[in-house]
Amino acid sequence: MLVPTLIGVTAIVFSLMHVSGDPIRLLFGPNVSEEKVLEKRAELGLDKPIHVQYWNWLTRVVQGDLGLSIHVQDRVATLILARIGPTLELTILALILTVVIAIPIGIISAMRPYTIVDNVSRFVALFWVSMPYFWLGIMLMMVFGLRLRLLPISGRGGPLWTVDGLRSALLPVLTLGLPPIALFTRLTRSAMLEVINEEYIRTARSKGVHEVIVVVRHALRNALIPVVTLLGLRLPWLFGGAVITETVFAWPGMGRLLVNAVMERDYPVVQGIVLVIALLTVLANLVVDFAYTLIDPRIRYG
Amino acid sequence: MKQFFSSRAVRRFTRNRLALVGLFFVAAVGLTALLADVIAPYNPLAMDFDALLSPPSATHPMGTDVLGRDLLSRVLYGSRYALLIGMGVVVLQMVLGGILGLVAGFAGGVVDGLIMRAVDIVWSIPGLVLALALAGALGGGIGVMIIAIAVTGWGQFTRLLRGQVLSLRELDYVTAAYALGASRTRILFRHVLPNTLGPVVVYTTLEMPAAILSSAALSFLGVGAQPPIPEWGALIADGRGLISFAWWVSTFPGLAIMITALGFNFVGDGLRDVLDPRFERRI
Repeated sequence: MLVPTLIGVTAIVFSLMHVSGDPIRLLFGPNVSEEKVLEKRAELGLDKPIHVQYWNWLTRVVQGDLGLSIHVQDRVATLILARIGPTLELTILALILTVVIAIPIGIISAMRPYTIVDNVSRFVALFWVSMPYFWLGIMLMMVFGLRLRLLPISGRGGPLWTVDGLRSALLPVLTLGLPPIALFTRLTRSAMLEVINEEYIRTARSKGVHEVIVVVRHALRNALIPVVTLLGLRLPWLFGGAVITETVFAWPGMGRLLVNAVMERDYPVVQGIVLVIALLTVLANLVVDFAYTLIDPRIRYG
Repeated sequence: MKQFFSSRAVRRFTRNRLALVGLFFVAAVGLTALLADVIAPYNPLAMDFDALLSPPSATHPMGTDVLGRDLLSRVLYGSRYALLIGMGVVVLQMVLGGILGLVAGFAGGVVDGLIMRAVDIVWSIPGLVLALALAGALGGGIGVMIIAIAVTGWGQFTRLLRGQVLSLRELDYVTAAYALGASRTRILFRHVLPNTLGPVVVYTTLEMPAAILSSAALSFLGVGAQPPIPEWGALIADGRGLISFAWWVSTFPGLAIMITALGFNFVGDGLRDVLDPRFERRI
């Protein structure tokens, strides 16, 4: 299950370099002699058949060698390591925000379906998923940073445990987190509505179990499975969002590095970042699979 | 298709106020795109150096940009790009993903396994990230961007059509057609494909705003529409550095994207209620 996926993902990442044109030309620019090209091609092993090249590249990647950047005189792995922290900071905070806000609101609107709260949240959800969030980021920046002067408009103020760090993280995290919050509120609601009319819920209520315990222990636990599934499916989307959010807020993460590398056609760096993001996604999905077994003991993986 | 036009479905759709609002938005954007030449007050590319960055006023309702171009005209023309790019992406995704889904569902076995594995693989790389890398690798531009978004986002259609085929081919009328000696191709095109139309229409409507948002994002990042094309994402990028003194340049194109995406989402949500009650509610 995991191995074929990883082979496929690495093959796609590997081919990105070749889609972008001749790597040698990218490396040296257009003014280079034919001999030099042939020499360098042999040196880098680019004269070998494509599957041999892929294998050689893969062997190096597995050993943590992602190659050298074309524009910056540095190893790709070093560049990425310096930037991965801030990206994880943003995505994890946005994820926590999503879970902490969306699930309670979802439960509340499921308890009062088709009332004003419920209808408003449906409208708001559709509204947020229609929002281009690079634009949302700029609007937040304009209102809170420039008009009200409450928050810094760009950059990372420092580690999260400092006041400056938190203040500068607030707008990017909101930009990244608000659309998924809308989505998961609706999902939690519909998942809760599906279980709340089950017989075992009625049984629990008729036994005189307190309503809070019925909702949290009996209903929510079963409603969580589809929510966790979609959470896993949406994680890649969060990384995509991070690319945009980091660009808007000049956040020093992997996403901004990726955009710059794409613009400079620095394809070893692009390959490295796409690979790391894909691996993070695969890893996150593994975590989600394990989360299932915690929520529902009936699910077991051999 | 018959089901689509039956009066009951239409009645249910028109009872949904949100869906009607959506239809109105979509129609308005569509008309704007068709009539941009007629309704735009200025040439979207004409510069006016006497009116650089002038704020919204009676002569320029949305203000002007850094080269004195009328923003309203640019936003109106932008609707053409948004709709054409969105349709391009969705049609490509539908053809590519749809064919693979039909093949997977009908062939089964190893072919099915391979195709679905490919879907999983493409899905484990975030679509926007891969599309950005791919569009950049191919040199950017509108055509390249459409292809990049389509080849990274066809998986949903494959899943949808495969699922449809798998459930439809077990139905009695398909068995009956087989028993009557109909060929597989005939069954696929005459009996199975028309019945997948409901969910496909719903899904296509919901995929349209996603495609518009992705293309705007890629243009914003610089690998999509290039200046001076008045594409909405590119317009927002234009205004990004100006927000401290010219708020209008980024604000209006973003509102245009939102109204368009909102329209399609409302319509899609309404269609889902009507055409496919079993369809999993995403929202």
